[in-house]
Amino acid sequence: MSQRKRASNTQSSQNKGVRSQRWEAVLGDDEDDPSFTQPSTSQVQKGLDRLTPAQVDLKTAEVVQFIFVKDQKKFPIRRADIVKHVVKEYRNIYPEIIKRVGRVFETVFGLKLVEIDSKNHVYILINKLEQLEGESLNMSPSNPKTGLLFVILSIVFMKGGVVKESMVWNTLKKLRVDQGERHEIFGDVKKVVTDEFVRQRYLEYVRIPHTEPLEFEFRWGQRADMEVSKVKLLEFIGQLHEQDPQSWTQQYRDATAPPAAPAVVTSANTSASVSQR
Amino acid sequence: MRRASRGGDESGTGTPRQNGVSGGRGGARGAVAERGDAAVGGGDDDEAGCSPADMQDEDNDPARRREIRSKYRDLINSVQQNREDMLSPTNNKLTDVLEEANKLFAEVRQAREAALDAQLLVLATDLGKEKASQLHAEGSAFDPAAFAEHLLSFMGLNRLEEEDEDVEGGASGGYLPQDAWQRVANRAQCCFRTAPSFHYMMGSFLAELPPPRQRVERQRKAPGKEAKRIMPTQLKRMEESHQEATEKEVERILGYLRSYFFDDPTSPISYYEFVIDPTSFSRSVENIFHTSFLVRDGLAKMYLDNHKLPCIAPVEEGEVEAGGASNRQQCVISISPKSWKELIEAFDITEPLIQAPSTQHTE
Repeated sequence: MSQRKRASNTQSSQNKGVRSQRWEAVLGDDEDDPSFTQPSTSQVQKGLDRLTPAQVDLKTAEVVQFIFVKDQKKFPIRRADIVKHVVKEYRNIYPEIIKRVGRVFETVFGLKLVEIDSKNHVYILINKLEQLEGESLNMSPSNPKTGLLFVILSIVFMKGGVVKESMVWNTLKKLRVDQGERHEIFGDVKKVVTDEFVRQRYLEYVRIPHTEPLEFEFRWGQRADMEVSKVKLLEFIGQLHEQDPQSWTQQYRDATAPPAAPAVVTSANTSASVSQR
Repeated sequence: MRRASRGGDESGTGTPRQNGVSGGRGGARGAVAERGDAAVGGGDDDEAGCSPADMQDEDNDPARRREIRSKYRDLINSVQQNREDMLSPTNNKLTDVLEEANKLFAEVRQAREAALDAQLLVLATDLGKEKASQLHAEGSAFDPAAFAEHLLSFMGLNRLEEEDEDVEGGASGGYLPQDAWQRVANRAQCCFRTAPSFHYMMGSFLAELPPPRQRVERQRKAPGKEAKRIMPTQLKRMEESHQEATEKEVERILGYLRSYFFDDPTSPISYYEFVIDPTSFSRSVENIFHTSFLVRDGLAKMYLDNHKLPCIAPVEEGEVEAGGASNRQQCVISISPKSWKELIEAFDITEPLIQAPSTQHTE
């Protein structure tokens, strides 16, 4: 009797857990790897002493290549995967290897390896070099999805960082992209936007609490924060509207603010604007 | 306060409504009861003027209430559907909705309708909050609808193709070229500091990919095979056990036959005496069935004795081959419960010669 009661109790609490877990799963497919513990500096030194420099260089090169291949889909790369598939028995010198890998990306390729989530140890690769307008045409044709992403990021940015999904879908509908219909270029648009872009960390797609029916909102993801130049975004938007980017005072200030801790900067901005009024 | 306003409202529109479809006897009866109540309670002075019966009737008119609820739901739906348009700073749709709701609320009498009104109010408040947040923005406001229009122009929308005017809320007419999104992407590309994705100069070694996949498939198939292997063996075992049961039984009967024969090789064993179990008809049938295997396999022979009654005897080892296939004869033995009883009486069988197997060994 009491057992049954307890069972039903745990079940209901589990259900809640499952729901929240599902959204965590949508946001990122990270999982901790218990097998890996960060080795200490002395351990790393001991490990390095046992290996020849050529061995360490080779392993570094392997990790660089692994990250390149993994980055093709622009999904974040998990430390757990790097360790499991490449580093393997060299895991005791992992900190040294990833340091060297980062150096190779910066000095050889002009890229930057960024750990976007220091808790779950997830990396993304971004370009250190500014891309000049029109230059990309020579290299490889840009992905039309970039256009779609630009539209969504623009709306979120121009609306102060958070936007209900209905606003995004409504605007896209005007651009002949309907979440319910198959798009001839993007296919399942809803999936591209709420799954692919989210997994790539360009967007965050989060349920708004206490809404009936369920509502979701979009924010910029960590990759967007790292990769997207708000100034250039605003420039393009200004060009579209034939308007000076500076006429959107608040957005312009946000875009030109120092990139460190963008969330803090935005909140400071709003409070400043309130006090001015 | 509310009652008073209701009373006032009633005097204007109440009378024709009371003649509505469902304002029939149930309402009238309720009205009588209500009148009684009012009398007990002493009556409110401002309701004394207009008949409380009419009032109560109107308050509970289900058709009327349903209509109000339906109108509220329509309003809520339209607000939810056209949310973005309502947010646009260029129109006053939110005010329109609120006015409409005010009109509806004048006729609300019961909590259920009032709940819907409250729901609409929540929506309207939410919209109002968002409209207000638009005002907060310093400098130019950002209107997604205008943004979309500008984007369409940038994409190369051919507005002349179809000359229909902009459909409110929906996508405006016109023909969008194939490379519309490509154009946006090319221009937007410079906003992104995306690392160029890695490609092998000569293409990747696609040929190398399949082998590991195949290996995986093989691994997956292996347990499948095992599973398949298990299935037939299980079936075989079942068949075997079944066959074994028959075979064992046949052998057991052969053992009886031989032991009876060697007990007294000179006296013939009557077939019916051997086979029939006086305690069980079905056992008798089973014995006949099993004995037939002995005859078929040439391990037993049947013949008619001097009284032309069938007898059975085991065949010696040496005789087995001598029998040969050419010598084979077939006959069908039929037995019914009736003939079974007759046989028991005729042969005076009191005990089965073949013990039931269950009493000897389990299975």
